[in-house]
Amino acid sequence: MRNFIFSFLALILLPAYMSGQIIKGKVLDKEGIPVPAAIIIAAGSNTSADTDFDGNFNINAKVGEMLKISMLGFDPVSIAATAGLMTVTLQESQDTSLKEVVIIGYGSRKKIDNTSAITSLRAEEVSKMKVLNASQAIQGKAAGVQVISSDLPGAAPSIIIRGLGTALGGRTPLFIVDGMPTDNINNINTNDITAYEILKDASSLAIYGTRAANGVVIITTKQGGGNKISVEVETFAGFRAPLKAVKMAGSNKYSHYSNAALQTTTFSQDQPVNTDWFDAITRTGTYAQNNISVSGSSENVKYFFSAGNYEEKAVLNGLDFSRTTFRTNNEFKISKKLTVSQNLSFGSSNSTPKPLDAFTNAYKQSPIIPVRFPNGEYGISLVGANGFAGVAGSSFNNVGNPVAQLDYFDEQQRSITLQGGLKLDYDILDSLKFTSQFNGEYYSWKNYNFEDSRRIWETNNNPGRLSSIIYPVERNINVLTKGRSQYFNWNLSNYLTYNKVFANIHDIEVTAGTETSIRGPREDLRIVRRNVNENSNYWSLAGVDYGATVLNYNDVVSNENRLLSYFGRFQYKLMDRYLVTGTLRRDGSSNFGKDFRWGTFPALGLGWIVTKENFMANVKALNLLKLRGSWGKLGNQNVPLNNQAYSIAGLTSYLGGSILFDGTTINSQIDPSLSWEVTEEASVGLDFELLDSRLKGSFDVYDKTTNNVILNTRPLITSGISNASPAHVGEVSNRGYEIALRWDDRISENLSYWVGGNFSSNKNELTGLSNAILAPVIGGDLGNGQFTKILDNSAVGQPLGSFFMYEYAGFDPATGAKLYLNAAGNPVTQDALNAVTDKKFVGSILPTSNYGVTLGLNYKNFDFSVDGYGTAGAKVYNGKKAQRFAGENVEDSLATNFWTANNITAPNPAPFNQVPVASTFYLESGDFFRINNISLGYKIPLQGMFINACRIYVNAINPFITQRFSGFSPELNGDGNPYGSQGIELNAYPALRSIVVGANLKF
Amino acid sequence: MKKIFLPIFILSMHLLSGCSDEFLDVDQTESISTKDIELFNNDAGAATFVTAIYSKFLDFNMSSFSWNGVSSIASDDADKGSSPGDTGTDKDVMDALTYNPSSLSITEIFSANYEGINRCNQALNIIPQLEKADATLRARLMGEAKFLRAFMYFTLVKTYGGVPIIDRLPNPSSQEDRTMQLTRKSKEEVYAFIEKDLSDAIEVLFDKSQYPSSERGRASRGAAYALLAKVNLYQKNWQKVVDNCNLVTGYAIVPDYASMFRVAGENDAESIFEIQGVGSIPIRGIQNYSVSQGARGAGGWGWGFNTPSLSLLNAYEVGDLRRNATIIFAGTTLYDGRVVPTTVENPRYNYKAYSSAIPDAEQSDTNIKYLRFAEVLLMKAEALNELNQTSGAIPLLNQIRLRAGLGNTTAVSQADVRIAIWKERRVELAFEHDRFFDVVRTGQAVAAFAIHGKTFVAGKHEVFPLPQLFLNETAGLSSQNPGY
Repeated sequence: MRNFIFSFLALILLPAYMSGQIIKGKVLDKEGIPVPAAIIIAAGSNTSADTDFDGNFNINAKVGEMLKISMLGFDPVSIAATAGLMTVTLQESQDTSLKEVVIIGYGSRKKIDNTSAITSLRAEEVSKMKVLNASQAIQGKAAGVQVISSDLPGAAPSIIIRGLGTALGGRTPLFIVDGMPTDNINNINTNDITAYEILKDASSLAIYGTRAANGVVIITTKQGGGNKISVEVETFAGFRAPLKAVKMAGSNKYSHYSNAALQTTTFSQDQPVNTDWFDAITRTGTYAQNNISVSGSSENVKYFFSAGNYEEKAVLNGLDFSRTTFRTNNEFKISKKLTVSQNLSFGSSNSTPKPLDAFTNAYKQSPIIPVRFPNGEYGISLVGANGFAGVAGSSFNNVGNPVAQLDYFDEQQRSITLQGGLKLDYDILDSLKFTSQFNGEYYSWKNYNFEDSRRIWETNNNPGRLSSIIYPVERNINVLTKGRSQYFNWNLSNYLTYNKVFANIHDIEVTAGTETSIRGPREDLRIVRRNVNENSNYWSLAGVDYGATVLNYNDVVSNENRLLSYFGRFQYKLMDRYLVTGTLRRDGSSNFGKDFRWGTFPALGLGWIVTKENFMANVKALNLLKLRGSWGKLGNQNVPLNNQAYSIAGLTSYLGGSILFDGTTINSQIDPSLSWEVTEEASVGLDFELLDSRLKGSFDVYDKTTNNVILNTRPLITSGISNASPAHVGEVSNRGYEIALRWDDRISENLSYWVGGNFSSNKNELTGLSNAILAPVIGGDLGNGQFTKILDNSAVGQPLGSFFMYEYAGFDPATGAKLYLNAAGNPVTQDALNAVTDKKFVGSILPTSNYGVTLGLNYKNFDFSVDGYGTAGAKVYNGKKAQRFAGENVEDSLATNFWTANNITAPNPAPFNQVPVASTFYLESGDFFRINNISLGYKIPLQGMFINACRIYVNAINPFITQRFSGFSPELNGDGNPYGSQGIELNAYPALRSIVVGANLKF
Repeated sequence: MKKIFLPIFILSMHLLSGCSDEFLDVDQTESISTKDIELFNNDAGAATFVTAIYSKFLDFNMSSFSWNGVSSIASDDADKGSSPGDTGTDKDVMDALTYNPSSLSITEIFSANYEGINRCNQALNIIPQLEKADATLRARLMGEAKFLRAFMYFTLVKTYGGVPIIDRLPNPSSQEDRTMQLTRKSKEEVYAFIEKDLSDAIEVLFDKSQYPSSERGRASRGAAYALLAKVNLYQKNWQKVVDNCNLVTGYAIVPDYASMFRVAGENDAESIFEIQGVGSIPIRGIQNYSVSQGARGAGGWGWGFNTPSLSLLNAYEVGDLRRNATIIFAGTTLYDGRVVPTTVENPRYNYKAYSSAIPDAEQSDTNIKYLRFAEVLLMKAEALNELNQTSGAIPLLNQIRLRAGLGNTTAVSQADVRIAIWKERRVELAFEHDRFFDVVRTGQAVAAFAIHGKTFVAGKHEVFPLPQLFLNETAGLSSQNPGY
């Protein structure tokens, strides 16, 4: 990337004119690589010149005259001109802020000249944490960015940038991978990433217009460099285990508790079996990754090739995941003016998913049941007259055997993602460049799921293998589901960049262009067949018509989406210190009605580099002080559509015979004016560097309002329209601030260290609703008739993702029954509650703040770093605990000391046999602080050997956590939906602790 | 090179701007746009809009759990059943008559019937536009839509009293239509509207025998007369009851009472109107209707709700064949050989909802019989008795009793015959979603519920409350029923 900047700067150099004699020379960096576009000024002769691509320069000057050679990112050098060929070596500047470049949409900008809030992370910061998805590795590293990660292999973390601005629309940021807009980056090998830029404020985001409201993450992959071939091998392997355990009651305590609940002596108090179900369904996870890359450059070509493989055997039995990636990134300099770059990546994932409710079932299933009965059949919940679990008896809960569940669950998924692009840069004039970029993305997914229905039935109904119990003949022997899914998206952008400095003080850069994006129709096929051959080799035979065995056949081609855009950006820098950026984007989207499809998104950014002012020249302690401010409008087009359609699904009926007739009706009311959500943001910030740039920091304050949030309104009940009607009726506000600080110091040649941290605070609120009746979003389903969240008219004034439930008020000392506050404030039992009036809002899944810390040191060949992350202010719901209603297991702490007539002061209420209502009894603080990564590395000193460099390392990922939550993990991404299972521990994959050993070799 | 790129650039700019709006016109592929009405402009297409109305009766919120809550569990014929701790959301309060305007059953029956009415209104709006479909067919389909709309308004008026009458597709931005949707009409206006729909339907509907064998479940002229007779019965228009019952022709009571509630008896000679569940593939049944009433617990197969009450059990005379055809008793063997162990959680379950082939799945082959010829006979008997033609009523009553394995009624006086007919209705039509409304209609409710051990407050419990969701919308245009 740097070379690109260099050649770009070469275009804006002042013209030289003839005087004196020609002095020739070459400018090199300390490694002997030519430095193009360095500026040579002969002050005496009043001439100047710049180096070409090979670092050569010619300048009119007098021998002996002092030449000043300067280049961005290097310390300037003054040297006397000589008649012979001069060789000048430049030293890299320590002032990193001068050379740092950030990628902005459709271009790049020196960080110092940037007016917007962008967090840039370099490869080494992201790749140090050995996780599959790069998004997880940025957790805690960028202020204002909340990452809710999951250790489930292949899961995509949720990223929330400066607060959640939408309730029903798409919530994920837009990812731009080497110029290609995409929805997720699961297919990107973290090792291939060189830079990760998170665009946070309106000034930087507006160039992405209608897709920018959730923020943008720009990912740049690696490019070749250097003057010889470099081969890099990275390999690691590690172990994984759950970070926290939850202690369940053992058999005898379970029996005691359950007998108390049932008021019987169903269960013997002296059980022969004590199954740890969590243990029974988990194993020590292992994972390993191997990567190799080959890169280099020659005069006209830069090349990079990499291959990577990731394998994980997850902690949940049978859950395996693997991913293979290939990437080539090449750049060809075809002529002095024309550069063509190409990139292509291939990613293939294979997995054998397992149902996550096995975790809930393991939590709930009674320890008195053996994994397998003595006869070899899976243990199920039957209790005999002797009070022990056995093959005969009465059923005491409806939880299946979680081990059997995993064993029977037979699914495989495979996906392939191909992404590629071609980019062409052409220098029309020295100051005018044309860029054209095409990118395409092809995705293909397939799966099968085989259900051995008969065996499952026999396990649950005939554990005694009685010949009298026969599987009903009319039932399916087995069920096979096969799915296929694919899409092709492409994107074409063309833009011109004009950059010129006038009169030495007016630095102008103008970008203008167009873009076309097509999200092709996604096609999903799903076929469900019954009674297939037991041998999976023979599921798909030639010459067989499976029509008669098809239970279900779905074939959906989803709507194509097109986007047409015009954009322009004007960046102006006056006297190297006053900065102005103006951005305008006009987007047309096929998602919306003809009169509502075009939107304009403007933004303005201002910056002032105070330390460049003369009056600051004597303030030595302050190396940099920059003030920034921005305002702009951003859109979110991933919102519910409003095409009115005939309903046909689920409307069939028989009419008295054997023919199933199709049905049609209209079950929607449309609002033709539906369009995107618009977020307006104003923000100010400052960047500073103190004490020889050892202390760096930034501070940002923002105020974001989305005043046309789309929510589902409910058509009048007597209209008979049951489909909600999305309309622009809500207003959501996000206000917050971000602080980032980092101290870097070098104590001696051998020892350097850093300490850094960031803190962000965000207040999210649904601030208003226009006159509308919302179709309540009743969310946070616990699967037992209880719901924990709501978004309806009463949610105004609450943050999004708010919990809504009864307030627990202790238990009745006379009966041990749990009590809840009703609307009047009186404690009542569950049966006396009024579902309409007695529930209240009790906090949100969204944290009000999150923070990250980092520290590290390099001593001789050792490097050591620690990264931590925490959040505060969020609530989490212990959904698995709130499941018990009959015969399920309970936690040890609950079974140990509960209310009885003789123990009325116990900390826990009396055992009960009733689905507990959703209440604050199960709501806990989600606050946590976790060490995300500890890394210790050692560079083996290698001199003149075949291997140039070798670093071996040990990482501990998530080694420690402090949490207030009593469950496995307070970090609960769930389905990623704040009104779904996010923030609820139910069927959740636990957070893991991993130990990794690896090596990185360069040849 | 420059020569090549500038034209490409200019061309692409031109392409994008030249036809930009056209470029953004993307046809939807996930769902059929309402712009494409031509797709339905034929016989089969027109029929689909009416099939969708029948399909509504298969929905969970229309005919299943909530409907049992209102029409059965709330009545003296049934208890909540199931496990003591399993409320079925609100079935416990439905059973105890302590429900409130927000209770799920009450809300769902209101909204489900209006969803069905929307489908009727959609059909009545669209079918006249489908001019390429056969005119006779279109007229009949309109008649079916009107019959079904009348059926649903009858459910609403029985359940809630007067309700808003939506007789057309409302325009969401019309104030007049908004008022129509939010304003209760009187009970009398609703009955008049039902009668008008049924009269219109009678003009164009086919007789049951005219339908092809695969469509015998469609609304027929006989069904319209039978429903009209029942609507007359609820308004005590006795002569009209008799007249309309007399027009229900082509039906007969079948010899074996129990057979009617098995697959073999579906759409039999006695059946006038029933909701169709079919168990052969593709299975399409009344959602969870059967399984929600199936025996619960060890050896059971269902959720165990809506169990026959002691009061109902005691209502059967000795020897009444209908007792064992209506009630599954724990510890007995069913007609198909299934043994119901004593370990099930409740002593009795509803036999009429039992599916032999698919007892435990969401979809089953169970039908709901809404109008049977036996009820026509009982309605006629009741009306004749009220018209002082008691001697004409008694043979009709005896016809029903005979089939049930009982002797002739001993009632002679008009008052005794009235009581006998009411009692006969109870045991004949038990679990056919009639009892609650019947005890209210006949004024027996306070006494009947006292026997059942529940308190029925006269002046309040005759109708259920209007759903709170609806009242919240009305902003004063409609008021709640008294007592709620």
